[in-house]
Amino acid sequence: MAIAPEKQTLYQGTRIPAPVPTILHVPEERRETGDIMQVNFGPNHPSTHGVLRLIVDLDGEEVVGIEAVIGYLHTGFEKSMEQKTWWKGITYAPRIDYVGYQSNELVYVLAVEKLLQLGVPEKAVWMRMLLAELNRIHSHLVFLGTSALELGAISMFWYCFREREMILDLSELVTGQRMHTRYFQVGGLAEDIPEGFYAECRKFVDWMPQALDDYLGLLDRNTIWLERTRGVGQLNAEDALALSQSGPVLRASGVDWDLRRDQPYLAYDQVDFRVPVYEHGDVYDRYRVRMDEMRESTRIVDQCLRRLERLKGRPWITDNRKVVLPPREELHTSMESLIHHFKLVTEGFRVPEGEVYVTIESPRGEQGCYIVSQGGPRPWRVHFRAPSFAALEATAACVNGALVADLIAIVGSLDAVMGDVDR
Amino acid sequence: MAEHRLRDHGLQSERLLWPTKGPSKFEESMPAEELEQHLGLTTLEKAVRWAQTKSMWPDTFGLACCAIEMMAIVSSRYDLARFGMEAFRSSPRQADLLIVSGRVAHKMAAPLRQIYDQMLEPKWVIAMGACASSGGMFNNYTVLQGVDRIVPVDIYVPFCPPRPEALMEGIIRIHEAYLAGIPPAYERRQVAT
Amino acid sequence: MSEWVHTPGHVKDTEALGETTVTVERASIRAACAHARDELGFNVLSGIVATDYLGWGRPGVSGYIGTAQGRDINFPATQGLQTLPELKPARFSLGYHLLALGRDPRRVRLQTWLEEDETVDSVVSVWPGADWYEREVFDMFGIRFDGHPYLRRLLMPEDWEGFPLRKDYPIGGEPVRFSEAE
Repeated sequence: MAIAPEKQTLYQGTRIPAPVPTILHVPEERRETGDIMQVNFGPNHPSTHGVLRLIVDLDGEEVVGIEAVIGYLHTGFEKSMEQKTWWKGITYAPRIDYVGYQSNELVYVLAVEKLLQLGVPEKAVWMRMLLAELNRIHSHLVFLGTSALELGAISMFWYCFREREMILDLSELVTGQRMHTRYFQVGGLAEDIPEGFYAECRKFVDWMPQALDDYLGLLDRNTIWLERTRGVGQLNAEDALALSQSGPVLRASGVDWDLRRDQPYLAYDQVDFRVPVYEHGDVYDRYRVRMDEMRESTRIVDQCLRRLERLKGRPWITDNRKVVLPPREELHTSMESLIHHFKLVTEGFRVPEGEVYVTIESPRGEQGCYIVSQGGPRPWRVHFRAPSFAALEATAACVNGALVADLIAIVGSLDAVMGDVDR
Repeated sequence: MAEHRLRDHGLQSERLLWPTKGPSKFEESMPAEELEQHLGLTTLEKAVRWAQTKSMWPDTFGLACCAIEMMAIVSSRYDLARFGMEAFRSSPRQADLLIVSGRVAHKMAAPLRQIYDQMLEPKWVIAMGACASSGGMFNNYTVLQGVDRIVPVDIYVPFCPPRPEALMEGIIRIHEAYLAGIPPAYERRQVAT
Repeated sequence: MSEWVHTPGHVKDTEALGETTVTVERASIRAACAHARDELGFNVLSGIVATDYLGWGRPGVSGYIGTAQGRDINFPATQGLQTLPELKPARFSLGYHLLALGRDPRRVRLQTWLEEDETVDSVVSVWPGADWYEREVFDMFGIRFDGHPYLRRLLMPEDWEGFPLRKDYPIGGEPVRFSEAE
């Protein structure tokens, strides 16, 4: 069955609702002629996005009004981190965007290091990149598995989680923890990379492209998948920029912007990868962007692995004793090390006064961390710029007369993690 | 009138017979000593508990990071389907087990209690993870310090997030406890503590 | 950057750690944002952050605070040195992080200062994406935005009292024995 070509062309003008950009109100003539039913997609619902509440006005099957109510997972990260030292904040950070957890840790640690103006050894830089890209693959796998599950391609869930288990095995091998690893420290990594990691990661890198081909074979020429995702939930480039979108949503709308390439951090300017950009801005294109990103991330992991194999035996954390704990052997012989250890554990290291805003490309888009320091051992203000927050703002603009079934596809394609939205 | 038991006919059973009744054709066709080898005898309560335990369907109540690990137990490596529990019901009316996976904000506490109330007895609650058990690392204005403040909890599964195997151990302990005769938490505690 | 001098309400601009912070007056923030978007090409609003500086620069409990670079253990003479950070112009600061997307990407932080009961113009007419950012700032700090079409609480329940991220709002939770006061 051919897909109607007019479904694919991107709209002109703007579809952002007015006066409130994030609420689609039922038009007056619909309210009089139609039979409007207000349905609550309450905080507990079968789609696996967490606690999002959508108040949807339906005229039959068509969505004519939508409002998103959030806050059901508000955890008070920002206030909690003000009470703890800088080091303890690293434990809080990954639980914000709990699917792309490595990116939160990374952005926080990069922001603190920027304020400290602390250099990080090369091995740590490359390992951070490797883990961040593995986490990108992890996040996109969870997106793919759950979105396909919601649209009816149920067996995709098991395929994707099979690869996800391989990634979590790698994570457990290196850090001892599957999720929320807390492996990134201010100054480098918590521990050295164990010997068996390189072989296991190589096996994963060799297997992953074949797994991606499996997924494409399952979904990409499936008529039902194409019918349900093409032309649905379109967002053109102007609207995406006006709504502060970033990441795969922005790239699917035709804007060629990737923080890894355009404002590189870590060592992304030394690796070779493509940035996928598609121009239709619908659910299908967002899915394609994420699939291509998984492929590119596997290539980046490969390059990082080759570099890391040449860096075996190098230090993994900086030796600035004002910030990093000294090695345990030194504590027996050196008085200064003992004092440093004592001060770091009891009071924590002090970060010079200032404010800084660091952004990275998380799997969901532009993840930012804004830190204000008073010069003391605890942050004065920590704020995380959440890409899912902006993505959910675009729900009302993307919906535009979609059917209820399309609404599920749209919310899934925006890939909003509620921990990131509510913080 | 004197009680007429099946035992009087040579069979080891407590069954009380109607005065005018004797052993059935099936029981007559079987020699008395071998009856227990061919039949499983149990009480109705035990049989019902066995059935309830072997298909205890959870409710889709994934809140935060623990929800990702809860999805992992359905995946093929940790395979919850071998316990008959892979059917996560979206409607609490059809669910037996509420796995509270993740931190519960005060805003979410009311929907949580509403979902719990909508479930039909018997129902069990697992507090998965540190945040559901006690508020976890979030001791602040917005996180409910332990979900046992509003619903009675059967099993607390610690860690942040618990490994899928840990969650499965929690589930299996509920199965075993119920099979051994321990009632669900709302009966033991009468109200939510 | 000298290009910022023509921003409406410009007070000063500073550069630190590779980031540019442009301070503008509270009354002209909407004009400054429009100027940044139209004249200078900052087409994406990355985020709006508010910070409460109540209690900034007060010495700590035990009376020492050290230098801005921290206390240097190898130089014991700094132990008695009390350098407090500079006091801020007002209680709240609002930072608008802007991004100029394109071949030559640039970032900037437009900053404005306000006291407790002062209001700021909403920039929803400049970037529609500012809608939820401003609602979140209102929810957490109590800063009202004039002209926002739907200023209500976003993250906390609708009937919550108090603004959680203010410094005079307690952290809450339950008391834990034998834990440090941090």
